Amino acid sequence: MSTDEIVVEHLTKQYKRLRAVDDLSFSVRAGRVTGFLGPNGAGKTTTLRMLLGLVTPTAGQATFGGTRYAELADPIKHVGAVLEASSAHRGRTGRNHLRMICRAAGLPDSRADEVLTIVGLTPAANRKFKGYSLGMRQRLGIAAALLGDPRVLILDEPANGLDPEGIRWMRDLLKALAAEGRTVLVSSHLLGEMQLLADDVVIVAAGKLIRQGPVDDVLGTMGTGAHVRVRTPQPAELKAALSELNATATEQTDGSLMVVGAEAAAIGHAAFAASVELHELATERGDLEQVFLQLTAGKAGIR
Amino acid sequence: MSLSLVNAELFKVRTTSIWWVLGIVLVPLYAASVLVNWAQFAAGQPDEGLSDTQSAQIEAALEPVNVATTLYTSGQFFGVLIVVLLGAIIVTSEFFHLTATTTFLTTPRRESVILAKFGAAVVIGLLVWLITTVLNLIVVPLIMNQLDVPAQLGTAAVWRAIGLNALAFGLWAILGVGVGVLIRSQIAATLVLAITYVVGTQAIGLIFFLLSEWVAEWFNKLQVIVPTTASQLMISGTELPGNPPRWVGAAVLIGYAAVTGVLGTLITKRRDIS
Repeated sequence: MSTDEIVVEHLTKQYKRLRAVDDLSFSVRAGRVTGFLGPNGAGKTTTLRMLLGLVTPTAGQATFGGTRYAELADPIKHVGAVLEASSAHRGRTGRNHLRMICRAAGLPDSRADEVLTIVGLTPAANRKFKGYSLGMRQRLGIAAALLGDPRVLILDEPANGLDPEGIRWMRDLLKALAAEGRTVLVSSHLLGEMQLLADDVVIVAAGKLIRQGPVDDVLGTMGTGAHVRVRTPQPAELKAALSELNATATEQTDGSLMVVGAEAAAIGHAAFAASVELHELATERGDLEQVFLQLTAGKAGIR
Repeated sequence: MSLSLVNAELFKVRTTSIWWVLGIVLVPLYAASVLVNWAQFAAGQPDEGLSDTQSAQIEAALEPVNVATTLYTSGQFFGVLIVVLLGAIIVTSEFFHLTATTTFLTTPRRESVILAKFGAAVVIGLLVWLITTVLNLIVVPLIMNQLDVPAQLGTAAVWRAIGLNALAFGLWAILGVGVGVLIRSQIAATLVLAITYVVGTQAIGLIFFLLSEWVAEWFNKLQVIVPTTASQLMISGTELPGNPPRWVGAAVLIGYAAVTGVLGTLITKRRDIS
């Protein structure tokens, strides 16, 4: 088993009154961006902290292909993690924050400047952390995670506090890192963003696994997979034409038809052949937010 | 103990304002210590009406060699206070500023981190010792001259006191780190240390005094278990009447440093970082 793969097996964390993580098992593959989704308090952060050896599990284990974080030969060079936006000393400059990590990890100081360039923080390198905006703090966190040029990246809510430009930047960065064959695990509750970013999802609620798999599969099994939106002044004729394709069309509240079971090209051809006038013909991906809310319904409360 | 980790810990101290803030605080406190010691010996002979042991102690303290050891270790009381506070802050600031996560992600073997903090604190302690000692070696001969006491820089007892003073700084640094681990709140740790160190010494001294007056004389000998008394005992020039030998003071301090150090390391290894 490769140490690039994240393996969580029967992981459990029991606090005094709260079972934050409850017999959770899932795995994360290399070369893909995996979204770790769940409502607030679902146990995402606790799971990541157990994976990184900061919190001791009550039972089960979270490893990198069977190796615990603390047992990795060179943890910083294997795994990069961004856990809290505010985890730097207020009175220390961004560059010194990174150099401090370099020194403890045996990396050259010059590496700090390299990652500052990657995240675009070079102009603010000598400014103290307390003067950083939330977005700059996130960038510094990502810079710290990249110091060791790690094979595995773990990010807890990295989009928090980023502006639209920053979110796009981070999305491109993480996709590029995954395309290089790295493992990228990103926790978030921003589902729109996740739908754009993630290849796979792991959905948890109340400390338990709800669903794991490629985004399209998860959307498909919930009946909100890929579908085609069609608008026509002759819905009855179109439905008749589509029934020959074994596709079903259902009327939506806005007057359009949602067609499942046929590609847009086939629908357009059928409509053309039947002389049905079309005003709109568009393929739509399923809506992760809708699926997420269905899957976690009733499990998202404050525990 | 990994030297690169000690280096990283010293880098942390160097890259924040804490070192020069405490440094600025130390300057007037050091000056005051020298002046108080000077004034004490300039005042001369003891008052009437003291017990035999007390007047014997004061007489012994006024012997030239003891005047010398006291003066050449001036600044120990406040220097150690600064070192012990800095030792605690090296640990508590990690939790105060939420940098513990980064630290333990970089070095998941937590005992290595705590050992490095002990190392860094000892280095800082010795640095403060070095600065106060160099200043003392410059200033004290002038004071001695004014007191009509020989400078005694050739006396073994003086250099032994200076050396044991270094040991005291190092041991207190370890104690500070240990207390920082035990009391994770920055404000609580620094307040508890400062109050216990400054007021506690007097308060406990009073308790021991009352116990020895009203219960049994031998309680007075137990005063050495108070860490500040132990470190003062350690640097005295000669054996003072009615006091345990110097090595007892060293043993007591080593005991405290070992207990807080081991306890602190064990606790840090087990604790969840969140």
